[in-house]
Amino acid sequence: MDYFLYYGCSLEGGGVHYMISTEAVAKGLGIDFHEIEDWNCCGASIAYIGGNEMQSIVLNARNLALAEAQGGYDIVAPCSSCYIMLNKVNHELQTNPKLLDQVNEILAEGGLKYSGKIRARHLLDLLYNDVGVEKIKAAVKKPLTGVKVAAYYGCQTTRPFGEYDSCENPHTQDDILAALGAEVVDFGQRVKCCGSGIFLTEIDKCAYLVKDIIESAAAGGAQIISTACPMCQMNLEIYQQRVNAITGASLNMPVVFVTQLMALAFGGDKDSAAALNRLVVPAGPALQAVGA
Amino acid sequence: MDYNQTFANEVYEKVDSGAEIKVCMQCGVCGATCPLRGEMKYGPRQIWSLIRAGRRDEVLNNPDIMLCTSCYACKVRCPRGVPIIDVMHGLAHYALSQGIVPRAETAKFGKAFWEGIYDTGRVDESVVPIKYCLQDGLVAGLKKSLGMLDIGLALMKAKRMKPKMFIPPNIFIPGVHKIKGVKQLQRMLDKAAAIDAAKEA
Repeated sequence: MDYFLYYGCSLEGGGVHYMISTEAVAKGLGIDFHEIEDWNCCGASIAYIGGNEMQSIVLNARNLALAEAQGGYDIVAPCSSCYIMLNKVNHELQTNPKLLDQVNEILAEGGLKYSGKIRARHLLDLLYNDVGVEKIKAAVKKPLTGVKVAAYYGCQTTRPFGEYDSCENPHTQDDILAALGAEVVDFGQRVKCCGSGIFLTEIDKCAYLVKDIIESAAAGGAQIISTACPMCQMNLEIYQQRVNAITGASLNMPVVFVTQLMALAFGGDKDSAAALNRLVVPAGPALQAVGA
Repeated sequence: MDYNQTFANEVYEKVDSGAEIKVCMQCGVCGATCPLRGEMKYGPRQIWSLIRAGRRDEVLNNPDIMLCTSCYACKVRCPRGVPIIDVMHGLAHYALSQGIVPRAETAKFGKAFWEGIYDTGRVDESVVPIKYCLQDGLVAGLKKSLGMLDIGLALMKAKRMKPKMFIPPNIFIPGVHKIKGVKQLQRMLDKAAAIDAAKEA
C-alpha cells in the first residue's frame, strides 16, 4: 500500500511522537509511506492573518500538484489541520474549473500544474478504511486490556465534509482502540474544539475548553485520552498546569496519539516505537496494566 | 435601525468569501454551535446583521471577528451552507489589511507564522514563538519568552523542541531548512496576493 505521508510542520517539531509512532505502525501494517519532495506548509488555521484566501489555496495546490507529478498516490495527513486544508482546497479545485484555471496560472510560476486527480485523506481514514479493523486486530501482540481510554476527535479531524466518518458522532478512532483491546469510554466532549491555533494567544478563554474536554473524559472513566491531531495533543497535554491555574481545575491526564497506543499494542518498544518518552504528562500510570 | 448598503457591498466585493453571507437567514445556529460564543459580544449571526446595517467600524474593530478557533462546527451545521469560518477569516484579514487589529496577540502570532511560511516554505515551531515574542521589542519580548519558559523546558525535556527557541540570537541564524522551491513559492504567493479567488463556480 503506497501513500504520500504529508508530515506537516508539527510532526517535525512538537508532534514528533506522532511521526515516530506512525512510522512504527506503518511498518507493522505493511504501509509504504513516501514523502512529497519539497512540500510546503499548508498554512493551517491561521494563514488568513498574513495571507488572503487565494494564497491559502495556492499553498495547498502546490502540494497537490507536487504529489500529482511525483506518482499520484493518495496524500495522507496525520495532522487534522493539514488534512482539512489539503482536502478543502482539493474539493474546491476539483469542483470549480474556473478556480483551477486561476490557480494553475499561479502554479506555472514554479513550473507546476494540478489537474485534480489526488485524494487528500486523514490518517484515521487510511487506518480504518484501507487497512481495516480486522487487520489491525490481527497485528496486536500485546492487547491493551484494562486500559480505559477516551477517543477524542476534536474539530478538524472529521470536518467539514464528514467523508470517512461522521462530523457529529464519529467512531473510527473508537473502533481502532477497541481493536487494540482497550476499553473505550464514552464522553460528551468528543468533538468539541480544544482552541486549536489560537489556544496560546487566547489561553484565558481556551483554557475552559480544555478543562471541559478533560473533565468530561475523566468523568467517563478515562485514564488516558487518545487523539489523532497534533494540535489537540499539544493543547490538551502541555498546558494542563496553566489550565489548572486559570480555571481552578486539577487536571493530570495523559494525552497520546492513537498511533502511540497502536505501536504499543503491536508489541513495539514503548519509547523507540510508541514514543511514550516524548510525553509531558507521563502515560506510565495509565498503561500500567500493559506494563508500559 | 437604518439600513445602509454601502458597507455590505464593500464586504461582498472586497472580503474573501464575504458574498456568502447574502443567503444567511439569521437562524443563529452558528452562534449556538461556536465553542467560544460565550466569550464574544456578538456571534457570527449578529456580525452579519451589523454588516447589513452598515456598521463598519463596529464590525471591523470587533475582537469577535478574530476569535475563531477554526473548528468548522458552524460551517457543518449552517442550514444555508454559509462557510462561516471562511467569512470570519476574510473579515479578520480585511480588518488587518486596513490597519485595524481586532486581537493584538493572535495577530502577532499569525504574522510570525505567515513569515515562517513565506520566508522558508515551512513553519519551524521553535522559531515562530520567538518571532511572536520579539514583536513586542527586545526587552518586553524577552520577558514574554521567559513567561513561556515552563512550556519550552517541558517540551525540550520531552525532546519535542529544539533548544534554540530560548536563545534569541540564534533566531537570526537560519536554523530552519528552506524548501528548495522557496523562490518559486514566493512568486506564487506574490501573484496570489493580488487575486481574489473565483469561489463561485
